[in-house]
Amino acid sequence: MAISRRKFSTAVSASLAMPALIGRASAQSATIKIGMCAPVTGPAAEAGKYAQTGAKLALDAVNKAGGVLGKQVELIVEDDQTTNPGIVLAFSKLASQTDIVAFLGSIRSTQVHAMAPDVLKIGKPVMIGGTDPALTHMGNQWLFRFRPNDSYSGSVIAEYGVKTLGKKKWAIVHSTDAFGTAGGKALTAALGKIDGTTIALDQGYSNQSQDFTPVVLAIKQSGADILGSYFTFENDLGVFARQLRQLGVNIPYVGSPSIVNVTALKLAGPALFGTFGVADYAEDSSEASKAFGKIYRDAAKIAPDNQSSWTYDAITILCMAIKKAGKTDPAAIREAILAVRKHAGAEGEYNFDANGDGLHGYNIVRNEKGTIVFDKHIESAS
Amino acid sequence: MDLVLQLFFTGLGIGAVYALVALGFVLIFRATNVVNFAQGEFAMVGAYMMVVLAVDLQWPYGWAFVASLGGMALLGVVFNLGVYYPLRNRTFLPVIIATIGASIFLSNTVLALYGPQPQVLPSWFDTQGLQVGPVYLDTQYLLILAVTLILVAFNFWFFEHTLLGKKLQATSQDKEMAALLGIPVATMIMLTFVYSALLAGVAGILVAPILFVSIQMGSTIALKAFAATIIGGFGDVKGAIIGGLALGIIETFGAAYISVPYKDGFAFLVLVAFLIFRPQGIFGERVAEKA
Repeated sequence: MAISRRKFSTAVSASLAMPALIGRASAQSATIKIGMCAPVTGPAAEAGKYAQTGAKLALDAVNKAGGVLGKQVELIVEDDQTTNPGIVLAFSKLASQTDIVAFLGSIRSTQVHAMAPDVLKIGKPVMIGGTDPALTHMGNQWLFRFRPNDSYSGSVIAEYGVKTLGKKKWAIVHSTDAFGTAGGKALTAALGKIDGTTIALDQGYSNQSQDFTPVVLAIKQSGADILGSYFTFENDLGVFARQLRQLGVNIPYVGSPSIVNVTALKLAGPALFGTFGVADYAEDSSEASKAFGKIYRDAAKIAPDNQSSWTYDAITILCMAIKKAGKTDPAAIREAILAVRKHAGAEGEYNFDANGDGLHGYNIVRNEKGTIVFDKHIESAS
Repeated sequence: MDLVLQLFFTGLGIGAVYALVALGFVLIFRATNVVNFAQGEFAMVGAYMMVVLAVDLQWPYGWAFVASLGGMALLGVVFNLGVYYPLRNRTFLPVIIATIGASIFLSNTVLALYGPQPQVLPSWFDTQGLQVGPVYLDTQYLLILAVTLILVAFNFWFFEHTLLGKKLQATSQDKEMAALLGIPVATMIMLTFVYSALLAGVAGILVAPILFVSIQMGSTIALKAFAATIIGGFGDVKGAIIGGLALGIIETFGAAYISVPYKDGFAFLVLVAFLIFRPQGIFGERVAEKA
């Protein structure tokens, strides 16, 4: 079959123009797209499922109410494999889709640190759940946090342990990853501001440890009368809690939010009975928290926790901000998020500060035979 | 002294788990000259089978255990036929790559079938542990140690005093000579895979009440078991056992007296030291016999 010069020129021109045309068409796509990096595989795969459920519940509510800027909102999930290289890859895949207007990052600080340089390059808003205080204090204007950071959790754990439980000799156990190290430092700093407290033991451990006997024996030998912890993975917490009880350590224990996670409660069982935790999400802490708890239970048939509540709030507030901005321009969305005040979310009342932190306090909850009971909310002074 | 005893007991318990998985590595290496990197995933699959049968389906623990081992034996057969057998005449590298591929396949299959939730497998005993003087003895660790001892004794008896064991040994030492003597080499290798899968399954089921049942439980154990195998002497059954126990004790004492965060580092430091100064491990591979 002979091809004329004209036909050939038309075909070549069409081929060259097609990517640009497709790009333009997708930039004006029928939906508003939000990218989400979530652990679909790896140690946090279960938490990743909860996170996706929370995000999708918020998305359903937004879309039922008519969507955003006259369009439905679509969530595009990419597996971060619960690893730092995994989230970098997942984010770069999502970022290559130019019509994605904003992203949800990780609840794990170490992963947010890994993706942060690329976030800065892309220059679009990324909602995060990682609680290392540094994340919103390192000059990256595109990170917005939907959980209180660890400078608040540290001060709340310290205040509750010393002032409410009356204990002053602390043992601190923390993961050596970014989250655990920052948490341990925050608790140490907060205790340093309270007169008469001492730190009998500051013990790091590496994630996915199979045995915590040396850590438990060190706590026992330290003579501490209260324990504070920052555990990243629930299975580590489960092994630790069991060995703690087996080796006869029964001092009061106030843990970071993972201590009240559904997975931790299931794995550790009675070993965590009687412990206290700081929780960004506590079902009975407010009407908005209760409302989220109800829709989550109806949809997922399990109890809600912070893995799902932060993504629920992130999608809700992000969509609210896009609506308010009236356009999908990253800078306009940023301004709209930072302007959010007194928004009653599942995690608490959002008042964004200039750094991008939305929440500034924690709930204290206690584990009563496996049931998480809300005690009180402490708004941090720091 | 109390501390030392407690650490020693815990180290032995963890070491026994490494030893059981390491034993599987060694048996397959001896029979096929390749390392089966899916050995850790075998342990994970065994633990999940137990969870399905004993927890989800509420079978009596004993029956669930026997059925899980049956499932593991079947996995050994399928693994042999699907992964090793088609590549048996190739060099060791494609087979090793295939075992790595199989390990990823097994992890993702379990993830797809069972979901990402870590599971709790109850202990075999109602009593969690015994307080003997100053030392707390976890009953599950006691069981692990007892089973390891029994399996070591069984190994010795099986390989040294039974005709089948001797056939397996002959196959592992020289496949061509064994074939000339009328030993069905392919069947012997399949039996080795079945036995290794059973050992890994037992390790997975025994360790599950302590470490919980999760997709990645196997890879964590297998890495240490692999180190134990090299420390003990690749290809040596005694070496795998001693290497595993030694590794468990070294990392537990290292964590207690030097640094907890670097606990895993001690295991690999010892591994590197062995690779530099005594690459053949404590007992050494019987290279002369394989030549």
